[in-house]
Amino acid sequence: MAETNANPAPAARRFRRLYYLAPVIALAIPFIVNEYLQFMANAILVYILVTLGFNIVIGNLGQLAFANTAFFGLGAYTTAIVMSYFGFPYVLAVVAAAVTGGIAGFLASVTALRGIRLYYLAIITLAFGELLRWVYLHGDKVTRGSDGLLVPHPYFLGIPMDSETPKFFVFLLITVLVVKATSNLMRSRIGRAIVAIRENEAATASLGIHTAHYIVLAFVWSGAVVGIAGAMFAVLTGRVFPESFGLAEVIVHFGMVLVGGTSSIVGSVIGAITLTALPEYFRQFPGMSELFFGIVIILVLLFLPKGLASLLARISPRFNERYYLD
Amino acid sequence: MLLQLTVSGIAQGALYALIALSMTVLYRATTIVNFGHGDFVMGGAFVVYVAVIFFGLPFVFAAIASIGLMFVLGLAVSRGFIDPIKTGPHIGFAMMSISIGYVLRGGARTLWGREVLPMPRVFDMDPIFVGGVVITGDAMIICSTVALLLAVFFLIFHRTQMGTLVQAVFQSERGATLVGIDVRRFHETMWGVGLAMGAIGGILIAPISLLHPDLGASFLIRGFAAMTLGGFGSLSGAVVGGLVLGLSEQYLGAYVSTALIDITAYLVIILVLVVRPAGLFGRLVAVRM
Repeated sequence: MAETNANPAPAARRFRRLYYLAPVIALAIPFIVNEYLQFMANAILVYILVTLGFNIVIGNLGQLAFANTAFFGLGAYTTAIVMSYFGFPYVLAVVAAAVTGGIAGFLASVTALRGIRLYYLAIITLAFGELLRWVYLHGDKVTRGSDGLLVPHPYFLGIPMDSETPKFFVFLLITVLVVKATSNLMRSRIGRAIVAIRENEAATASLGIHTAHYIVLAFVWSGAVVGIAGAMFAVLTGRVFPESFGLAEVIVHFGMVLVGGTSSIVGSVIGAITLTALPEYFRQFPGMSELFFGIVIILVLLFLPKGLASLLARISPRFNERYYLD
Repeated sequence: MLLQLTVSGIAQGALYALIALSMTVLYRATTIVNFGHGDFVMGGAFVVYVAVIFFGLPFVFAAIASIGLMFVLGLAVSRGFIDPIKTGPHIGFAMMSISIGYVLRGGARTLWGREVLPMPRVFDMDPIFVGGVVITGDAMIICSTVALLLAVFFLIFHRTQMGTLVQAVFQSERGATLVGIDVRRFHETMWGVGLAMGAIGGILIAPISLLHPDLGASFLIRGFAAMTLGGFGSLSGAVVGGLVLGLSEQYLGAYVSTALIDITAYLVIILVLVVRPAGLFGRLVAVRM
């Protein structure tokens, strides 16, 4: 039994498999909810990926970047464009969105190659996002400007995604695959290098780790994940508008990451589940959404800096994600 | 035509310069870049509007009330929201300032509704004509305010004991504390000063543009563009950057396409950071994470 004492990992790994129950339980959702709640469940799946991608840059890499809405918008517009103009099947459209998001992530991190971090990165990504929104508005020959671009009804491997329920199953499949892939990546050598850069970039570089490569990689992965979320969002809403990807959206993404827990994958899921329904609800009260999200983020920063995921870890240390949560 | 564009470019640029200058002062004093600054500017303008329209105060008193309120808000922000997260990662400050900004914006929108409000004109000065070029009273007031503030802060930062203090705290808070500087108090004051300067920006913007809760976002990005262009942390850089940005917007808008006015600032930011990250006058400073 000395072996288990020396290496507690198998027990933790077995415990982690409990997370696999979540998507299985989620399969039951379409059978118990109505059409509107089903729409909300689909939106939650979209925002799980939005938060997951954002969390890699903000939490794991510890860099402040506003490019998340840009990745999200690019994913959505790419999907709408390749489906309505080129008749791509949905599977390929999702891949295209991931590629576009990944390229955008690479561009957003180009400055990192020049040693520009922190505030410079925040400012350049802010400019990048707003520039893209201008492109959506003024590229109206392709994007239809502020009228929005219609997304045709997609087929996923021959199954029509024409109502909320089939969309849910497709989204659930995509979400599970992406979450699992991200979880594996973040527990690998690459993920540990990314966290090490956050903790001390100079020390990480002194270990012979090429920090710029990992920063670029984190951004590319983040962009691809959020791009996929955009591809789901385009199908969810059926029409993409430039206004969906403005600065007001940033605070919602921020809120989900911080409330769930920075650099925690479970946290990203929790954050998206708790907060997705709120902006929709607040739509009837102008200003309430910004007020609410602002206050919630302030409270989290002051009193619960590691988010709801850290409460879970307080209940049982087994919930602690060994490599993301400190 | 060119002269007229230059004059209006300078007037517009002076506003950006003012925003950039107030962010630079705060950055030099606290190493924090205030991502909520645009919303504080909007808050300053909003207070003036409410004081003039709803309480019927004369503009001068409304302006003083706005500056005073924003100064106190600055003290409160520093003590209540920034100080408690001092030990956390530096990224937390940025998120905190964004969130406070969003709370202000949300609050303004809740009170304001969706309307866009015009402010009655206050600087009722006759425009001056110089050889066919019109110079409005607003432009003159804005430019002289910016010149005055730049002179004041330049003297404070480079010619007084206070400037040495700013430098000491910027370089090492711990070292500054050890030689007997009350860093906490210093930060509070500088937050107050930074926000009061933001309020001055808002007061100058209020009479010449339509007021709406999202006013701050566009000025924040233009302020960033001015700071980046001039070089982060440089006072004169912020002003020169602001003026250059104002002029480029006018020239591009007139000679190329009016649609470009909106994105000049973004293009400036991206171009400068990719080509010459240190800007015109700055040096690249490594900030602790």
